[in-house]
Amino acid sequence: MDLNTFLLGFAILACVYMACNIGANDVANAMGTSVGSKALTFRQAVMVAAVAEFLGAVLVGGHVSDTVRKGMLDPNIFTDQPLHLVYGMIAALVASAIWLHLASYLGWPVSTTHAVVGAIVGFGVIAGGADAINWVKMSKIVASWFISPAMGAVVAYFMFRFISSQILETRNPLLNAIRVVPYLVFLVLLILANAMIYKGLKNLSLDLSFLESLLIASGVGMAGFVLTKLLISRMKMVPSQNIAEQYAATEKIFKFLQIFTAFYVAFAHGSNDVANAVGPLAAVVATLQNGAIESKVIMPLWILLLGGTGIVFGLMIWGSKVMETIGKKITEITPSRGFCAEFAAATVVLVCSKMGLPISTTHTLVGSVIGVGMARGLASLNIGIIKVIFVSWVATVPFTAVLAMIIYKLFTFVLP
Amino acid sequence: MRSILSMFAQSPFKPLTGHIEKVRACIKLIEPLFKAQQAMDYAGILDISEKIIRFEHEADIIKDQIRSQISKTIFLPVDKRDFDRLLSVQDDMADAVEDLAVLMRIKNLITPEPVITVLNKLVDHVVENALKSCDLICELETLLEASFGGKEAEIIERGSRELAHAEWESDKIQFTLAQKLFALEEPLLAADLLLWNEVNKKLGGVSDKAEMIGKVLRIFISK
Repeated sequence: MDLNTFLLGFAILACVYMACNIGANDVANAMGTSVGSKALTFRQAVMVAAVAEFLGAVLVGGHVSDTVRKGMLDPNIFTDQPLHLVYGMIAALVASAIWLHLASYLGWPVSTTHAVVGAIVGFGVIAGGADAINWVKMSKIVASWFISPAMGAVVAYFMFRFISSQILETRNPLLNAIRVVPYLVFLVLLILANAMIYKGLKNLSLDLSFLESLLIASGVGMAGFVLTKLLISRMKMVPSQNIAEQYAATEKIFKFLQIFTAFYVAFAHGSNDVANAVGPLAAVVATLQNGAIESKVIMPLWILLLGGTGIVFGLMIWGSKVMETIGKKITEITPSRGFCAEFAAATVVLVCSKMGLPISTTHTLVGSVIGVGMARGLASLNIGIIKVIFVSWVATVPFTAVLAMIIYKLFTFVLP
Repeated sequence: MRSILSMFAQSPFKPLTGHIEKVRACIKLIEPLFKAQQAMDYAGILDISEKIIRFEHEADIIKDQIRSQISKTIFLPVDKRDFDRLLSVQDDMADAVEDLAVLMRIKNLITPEPVITVLNKLVDHVVENALKSCDLICELETLLEASFGGKEAEIIERGSRELAHAEWESDKIQFTLAQKLFALEEPLLAADLLLWNEVNKKLGGVSDKAEMIGKVLRIFISK
């Protein structure tokens, strides 16, 4: 077997392994608020996530994958020895996978995104010095790591204040929920469908203009609107005297809405995180195929499909166990709050995916939940997790960077 | 804890309801206590006061559990100090009932005839309002769901105002009772008079605590 085939095979294995890890661990966090609020059982969550993650990865995953495979490094540093890019990318995947396992063992909520980005920067620096890194892009990425949880908090805060003033604090919350929730379904479907269609179907050579995709997305939204109205109007009315009963019924309506946002979150997560597995592989494939660094090559569809499949595989084989644990826990999060957090996080993540920025879905969700808490939406919130996340941030990037450096150097010594 | 669910700490508001139920159990025993007193059933008084002491102790245990839950890293939708204040006030109400029971046990008192009607009026009034304040605490879950606004907030505001008014009323009845007590002539012993005066003040104290509960709940809403 020649070297190139060996490297390709190894890279594919590493990519699939990484994708399975993402599916096994990350997805549970993305679905946590839906399973915790009992809007979905853990089995339903697995089903929803499987479909949504795959679609997100394949239809919108290309932008972030592009950033990961070529946006962070100066391509010219490898023109003399293109194979070194291959070594580096494989090193990045291996280093990230090791770190994820270690963190899992320690019980740390680390971000796959931070791990991969850190690893790539690591081998880039050791391969070509500080100039090898595209610092403009890197500063945008690091900024987005801070901004995404903050934006998640802001959007969640305002979304909760909105449903609070329009539904929860009104004289007849149930009536207003029945009135307002169909519009929220429309909104979620509009954003989701538009994300899928506009530029998303480019891979399937269906290139529509923004207006055309918006129109189709509105159609999907309208269908959801009508469906929701039909299902909800079947609900028994509770007199406004029994305020506690009214709230129980209102939350039931939000459970229905959460099904949509659960899909939305999983979709957004897939669109952003598939790059962590697939970006390095795409760089490897491009280099091995062309023998040189090609920066204009488009993301091959089969690689995105591979990544999406890996995520779903990891989710179904190992991720269900984690989700089951979450499902068994009693949380105080109610569907109305869960919806706000999910909507905010998914929107921020999706926007970043479209902008090609690799961010952490988990951290954005944490920001969103805090946003809901700030709006007085939650009975209690353990903000000790912020410190844990901050620590894991600081630990992840240097660790994977150094580990990737070491593995890269090993490869360059042993192999030509 | 790798899961995002470690963010969702256990709500301290649920155990608060559990605590008030113990307080409610104490308050429900006030009327039987005075009935036994007037029937000169001194064994019954001992029995009932044992029950009150037990319930008060159980309330204390729950209170300590709640306090240990409010760690430094927990974030509540209300000021932590206000939450602690509410817990303290609830517990004070149970303490007041316990003090009452202890007072009744110190000596086998006889209820003076002229005082019975006013005394029973005070007892009824105080018990009714203390129970009302317990009901308000049970509304907390719904208040949280309503995000401290809407109709639920109005219910609590109204309830709180009623408790404040009731406290004012109970002050008046207390005064009338004091007047009647101090107007009594022989054969009432000085010791008995002292004890009865203390009982009067304690009953008023229970009413004060009930009013305080309403006040803190209003702070929850306004902040």
